[in-house]
Amino acid sequence: MRIIVNHATCQGHARCWAQAPDIFKLDDEGYILPGDINVAEGDELLASRGAQACPERALEIDRTAAAPESVFIQSRV
Amino acid sequence: MASNPVPDHVPPEMVRDFSLFTSAGMLPTPNGDPHAAVACVHAGPPIFYSPYNTRNGRGTWVITRAKDQRRVLQDAETFSSHRSIFASVLGENWPMIPLELDPPAHGIFRSLLNPLFSPKRVMVLEPVVRERAIALIDRIAASGTSCDVMKDFAFPFTVNIFLGFLGLSDDRLDIFVGWANDLLHGDDVKRPAAARMIVAFIDELAAMRRKEPVADFMTFVVQAEVEGRPLTDEEVRGTGVLLFVAGLDTVAAAIGFDLAYLARNPKDQDLLRSEPDRIGLAAEELLRAYPTVQMIRVATKNIDFEGAPIRKGDYVSCATMIANRDPAEFECPNTIDLAREDNRHAAFGYGPHRCLGSHLARREIVIGLEEWLARIPGFRIKEGTAPITYGGHVFGIENLILDWS
Repeated sequence: MRIIVNHATCQGHARCWAQAPDIFKLDDEGYILPGDINVAEGDELLASRGAQACPERALEIDRTAAAPESVFIQSRV
Repeated sequence: MASNPVPDHVPPEMVRDFSLFTSAGMLPTPNGDPHAAVACVHAGPPIFYSPYNTRNGRGTWVITRAKDQRRVLQDAETFSSHRSIFASVLGENWPMIPLELDPPAHGIFRSLLNPLFSPKRVMVLEPVVRERAIALIDRIAASGTSCDVMKDFAFPFTVNIFLGFLGLSDDRLDIFVGWANDLLHGDDVKRPAAARMIVAFIDELAAMRRKEPVADFMTFVVQAEVEGRPLTDEEVRGTGVLLFVAGLDTVAAAIGFDLAYLARNPKDQDLLRSEPDRIGLAAEELLRAYPTVQMIRVATKNIDFEGAPIRKGDYVSCATMIANRDPAEFECPNTIDLAREDNRHAAFGYGPHRCLGSHLARREIVIGLEEWLARIPGFRIKEGTAPITYGGHVFGIENLILDWS
């Protein structure tokens, strides 16, 4: 799963961050960092909740994208 | 105050007898529910014209659907926020900053101020906010089994935090509350008088902080630079006045509406008291159900909007309390469900002018409810009393007497 971040639409409500601060990172002004977010498999529920919390509809959920290999596996490889 | 005639370009069939100022339930009403009263517009069209929908009797278009309000408020180019709502009380024309600036100037000032109100900064402020709430509530609990929530808690709490931002002590608290009250709810004599006092106060404070800087908001503002230059006196004033106007009444009113709801709904009250982890989510639902402001924009060009011929200069109202009861946006919008998920409410507005203080306001509300419920046993509206609610530019509640005897 991938979260498509429409950065220009973010207005700093920070509702995504309130749901999942480790997935949705904010800059010093409180707006989401630019760039789409690849969601690890175990984080999908939290990430989709965060995306659905956006009052501006700045976050789109792309369920077709494969989850990145987890950090755990990557660190072993 | 006579209402203005409906402009010629507004088709008569698009005019509706509805106003946030004069419709049923908007004037001061004992045991009223102005938020529920406005929800009736959802039985009608998505946009209509209200001939009397500002404090000075001007007409506005009224946008009822959340998705259309989003479209208006996100498009600052077509729908300007500059109408000098404060300065016009004095017959002047300067913007409150950043609210009444349009892009690109807006972004410059917003970037300057955002870090002061960011979610991370608010986390740092939290202990002070909590300490203040506890002190006030402990005093209330120690002095009896009843209190006037607005006078004894909501206003002293929110005004104190505002004063803390300005590096000021509490000794002028009552004066500030009086000014805010006169400004928002006073007549044609009281309003300009209060506005003049507020401007004089901000100007004087700015001058003091220029001379002797301290670690507070006004010092930050007078020392700040935008585009390589310091702020002008008018910009300093516009910024200070907005902090005053926006920070006082709105959060206090939200806390009042929330405690009134809990007083009348003992099951929800007990649930939040026994499971305080639910308060964060519940506060969002209460923000959805009882938001306090209507945003008004000015059309910068002619635009046909969902069949309505909006013309340059027309006012367009996006009332948060209307969007938040939109059945297309919220399942059972008139049911208050403190466990509601996916609650993308409009209490802080949409678009670039999203309430700068929203993160602080949220924390004040949550902390206020947490500490109140932790310290005050089962409470209800005091028998023989009736809270008075009102609509208008900022919705509010007064005479909220709670009893826990």
